[in-house]
Amino acid sequence: MPKLTINGKEVEVPAGTNLIEAARAVGVEVPHYCYHPGLSIAGQCRLCMVDIEKTPRPTIGCNTVATEGMVVNTETDRVRETRKSIMEFHLINHPLDCPVCDQAGECWLQIYYMKHGLYDPRMKDEKVHKPKAVPLGPHVMLDAERCILCSRCVRYCDEITHTGELGIFQRGDHSEIGLFPGHELDNKYSANVVDICPVGALTDRDFRFQVRVWYLDTAKSVCPGCARGCNIDVHVNRRRPHHAEGRRVARLKPRFNAEVNKWWLCDAGRYGFGFVDAPDRLVVPSQREGGTSTDATWEQGIAAVAGALRRLPPAQIGVIASPKMANEDLFALRRLLELRGVTQVASQVPPRTQGDEDDFLIRADKNPNSLGAELLGFGAGARTVIEAAGQRRLKFLWVFGHDLLAGALPERDVLEALRVVDTVVFTGSNANWTSAHSHWVLPAAAWTEREGTYTNFEGRVQRFRSAIEPLGQALPEWDIIGRVMTLLGESLQATRAEHLFRQLVEAVPAFAGLSYQLLGDTGRTLATAGASGHRGAGPSGAAS
Amino acid sequence: MAEIVLMRNFSNPDSHTLAAYRAGGGYAAWDKARQMEPAAITEEVKKANLRGLGGAGFPTGTKWSFIPKNHTGPVYLVVNADEGEPGTFKDRYLLERDPHALIEGMLIAARAVRCTKSFVYIRGEYIQPWRRFSAAVKEAYDAGLLGQGLDIVIHRGAGAYICGEETGLLSSLEGKKGWPKIKPPFPAIKGAFGQPTIVNNVETLCCVPPIVARGAEWFAGLGTKTQGGTRMYSVSGRVKKPAVYEASVSITLRQLIEMAGGVSGTGRLKAVVPGGGSAAILTADEIDVTMDVDGLKNAGTMIGSAGVMVMDESVSIPEALMVLARFYAHESCGQCTPCRESTGWIYKMVHRIVDGHGHKDDLDTILDVAKRGAGTTICAFYDGAVGPYISYIEKFRAEFEALIPHA
Amino acid sequence: MSETHGATSASSRTPTVRAGLTDPATIRFNDAQLAEVRRLQALYPDKRGALLPVLHMAQETFGYISLEAEEYVASLFDLSPAHVHEVVTFYTLYFRERPGRHVVAVCHTLSCHMAGAPKIIAHLKQKLGIEPGETTEDGRVTFLTVECLCACEAAPMAQVDDRYELHLTPEKLDRLLEGLR
Repeated sequence: MPKLTINGKEVEVPAGTNLIEAARAVGVEVPHYCYHPGLSIAGQCRLCMVDIEKTPRPTIGCNTVATEGMVVNTETDRVRETRKSIMEFHLINHPLDCPVCDQAGECWLQIYYMKHGLYDPRMKDEKVHKPKAVPLGPHVMLDAERCILCSRCVRYCDEITHTGELGIFQRGDHSEIGLFPGHELDNKYSANVVDICPVGALTDRDFRFQVRVWYLDTAKSVCPGCARGCNIDVHVNRRRPHHAEGRRVARLKPRFNAEVNKWWLCDAGRYGFGFVDAPDRLVVPSQREGGTSTDATWEQGIAAVAGALRRLPPAQIGVIASPKMANEDLFALRRLLELRGVTQVASQVPPRTQGDEDDFLIRADKNPNSLGAELLGFGAGARTVIEAAGQRRLKFLWVFGHDLLAGALPERDVLEALRVVDTVVFTGSNANWTSAHSHWVLPAAAWTEREGTYTNFEGRVQRFRSAIEPLGQALPEWDIIGRVMTLLGESLQATRAEHLFRQLVEAVPAFAGLSYQLLGDTGRTLATAGASGHRGAGPSGAAS
Repeated sequence: MAEIVLMRNFSNPDSHTLAAYRAGGGYAAWDKARQMEPAAITEEVKKANLRGLGGAGFPTGTKWSFIPKNHTGPVYLVVNADEGEPGTFKDRYLLERDPHALIEGMLIAARAVRCTKSFVYIRGEYIQPWRRFSAAVKEAYDAGLLGQGLDIVIHRGAGAYICGEETGLLSSLEGKKGWPKIKPPFPAIKGAFGQPTIVNNVETLCCVPPIVARGAEWFAGLGTKTQGGTRMYSVSGRVKKPAVYEASVSITLRQLIEMAGGVSGTGRLKAVVPGGGSAAILTADEIDVTMDVDGLKNAGTMIGSAGVMVMDESVSIPEALMVLARFYAHESCGQCTPCRESTGWIYKMVHRIVDGHGHKDDLDTILDVAKRGAGTTICAFYDGAVGPYISYIEKFRAEFEALIPHA
Repeated sequence: MSETHGATSASSRTPTVRAGLTDPATIRFNDAQLAEVRRLQALYPDKRGALLPVLHMAQETFGYISLEAEEYVASLFDLSPAHVHEVVTFYTLYFRERPGRHVVAVCHTLSCHMAGAPKIIAHLKQKLGIEPGETTEDGRVTFLTVECLCACEAAPMAQVDDRYELHLTPEKLDRLLEGLR
């Protein structure tokens, strides 16, 4: 482990650490563009220059490995002056697009110019013009003029997705990022190039012109799109609701987790949040009688459910939970069902088509908490519950989230079940066929609107946090369940999700020893993970 | 007057054939080298003070000794025949008139660095030299000189000056754009296809057989204290007899111009580019310099590829700079920011000045931008551009200012 | 000056196609050529090293390198077409549109400039009726201006097809052009 000195501070780093990372270890920022810890070294932008004792000129930090006794200074006059020069070189042909560029506010030309540039521009000649607003694929927009040719996106497509769609064509100041003419940027992880592009050359088509980034609030979360549980940040727009036609969740961004997804996120997960602000959100409790649905109050809805549960023998009660529910929701449900001795429970509804899977991040299981559901006692398939319903053995059926007709359950059985059961209650965030054919609809908050935990396929328990308030009168599932329990005479003894997590940790051996504090921002694997769940391959891709 | 070493066979119309080369004593040096230890060959080349003749002037023997001693994989010898420096044409002559001299030099060098596979990268425009060299290689294979320990692969370029840069050449050899590689690692450690590689210029390797045949001391004695031998000076521009001339590296620029018949045009010397387009220009009263690596370095310029371009009083220096600025803008590979962005911008500014639309700040802007970019790039291409940008303006500023309204 | 401000693009060899020449229906090498491709690939430690030689082959065979040819060559190397496109657009000797039957490439760098290249270029513009970068209507000549061809001792000069034509004068050019059918 070489020990070196950076700006007078001594630091010990693992062998092979470059100077940008070594500086980061002592809180020193070395500005850079082309360097990315997940990609190969390019050494093209020339911004990460540092002064090293005994070398005649400033050297780039990304390609210099820290060695024992090295003395590095990142703030000499010479380095500062060089940075200023490099900033000028970067901006010579850069178009003054800030007023119309989505990157404004998180643009590294802006940020570094303000920190390291601040020179008077003197380029008076015509700038080089290149194609603008070129869709590269369904998710990514290219503006070739804004591109600083750092080559991150090209290296990403070669080294991470191994698809090689992007190249830098021509040479000199006519160099241009692009696709092979006629081709598309259509790999399943295409939008990561938007994240790694330091400027507004590659931007998100979905986010285009939606809202200025300085109006966004952010919360740390976990993508619920599949059993991988990639870590993300949810960006919401509370402050300018009139900007995006009321769309509150503006975008998702991957959040670094060395053990799960590193820096990356698949497109399906990145763009899977549309349902949160969709018109088909369920926002008030409702009751359906004779084909018409009328709004109701929570009191009425909770009373109806509690009443049925109190009245009916447990054998006539069925519950289809969901592997999309949080651990906390499932545990609350387990407590409720234990209270009444209900055993006809399930969570698995097989999908009609097998989900896609790859050797990178995408899992075939498109649910974030299948393992959690299994560990909490809900691992059974919904088929038995539907059959019991169809055989008129159930008088009450509570369905969480699923559209029972959308899966691989026989359509006839589902139709029959929903037709004959006296009371069908649906709890979910968005309307579907099942909710439309239920007697009671109790709206659930979406995952972005509350907190909780999921257990990914490797047994990693990860926290997701609330980014925005629940829409309308929607409530987290655990809260709905708690209110039912209260009417049944038993308190959930939880006013927030963490309380339930604590109870869960005491009651379920698999989760022993965990706490929200221990989970932190990157989660923890269950002690029993090796024994129970299948440990799949971690994400591939270049390590730093 | 120094003896003619490199051009010794040129007067023979069949000089490019194996028969003629052998008749002139060719491949005797290779016979001698085969009895020598590789390290001894390198020592001899070091003692001869042979400096690279492609542009950088790096001591050749020292470069050869950088190959890691304990490397078990292949070592490659790559010949830089991508001659492209404006004002330079010597390698073209060697390829066409004495290709076997290069092959013999390669055989000896390959033995010194323990290489069994070598590549010759010939610029794509050099069709006739390529045909001549290919024919010579075939002769060598047929005669059993090649294929018994050394293979030569001839690789044609496709039109890019930057492929004359050592690592740009390697990238092109590997089937990519000619983007120079970031260093470290250096080619001797990790070069072509990831293996230790020596890149040498055509003329440099042509010096090797004479060094082995006649001894390092003899070769060193032909030149200066720090650079041995003779070299081929490409002399063009406003001289009466533009041609390639061989002379001791101790020759002065004044003497060289005389060799080429003296100044043509007005007959009055204005300036000289001493070392290819990338060399800083010398004024008419700066020509009493020795045309060796250290002599010109001390004069604030460089010998580079020894491409000497003579300018008489009727040559417009701003126009000359515009032509070179256009060259650098066109040939910039685009990989790193300072060069990519400023070569185009500086060309625009110089063009505007020549057209009469210069602004009074332009000259200082060009100088400042050039100085800020120098030393910050991946390769020395930009430093080569900076040579003319700065020297032409600093030494002939009045001529530029005369073109700028209200300067 | 004839060119627009800024550097001429690397692929200055994209002459406007004026002649109505047909393209080959299919871009494919025959068996002998494929064998040559494999032979070339085997010469390099990594077969990708043969890319420039094979692109030269493609140009000789098909007349120029179309996008279809790029995709075809990419398939011979297990490279993405984008990476072949990078190479084709980077180097000046690969034509991306069919050139004229003859290519006249006049050097305009320093010694040739001093020796009168601008006059030679102006003469050709007038004689051929086209700008540098273009091809004559009858598909006979593609006219280019290029950087140093390293024949400065014989300036002004041009590369005409495979040959260097040295010590050019307007008269010599006229005779030369007459010989280009």
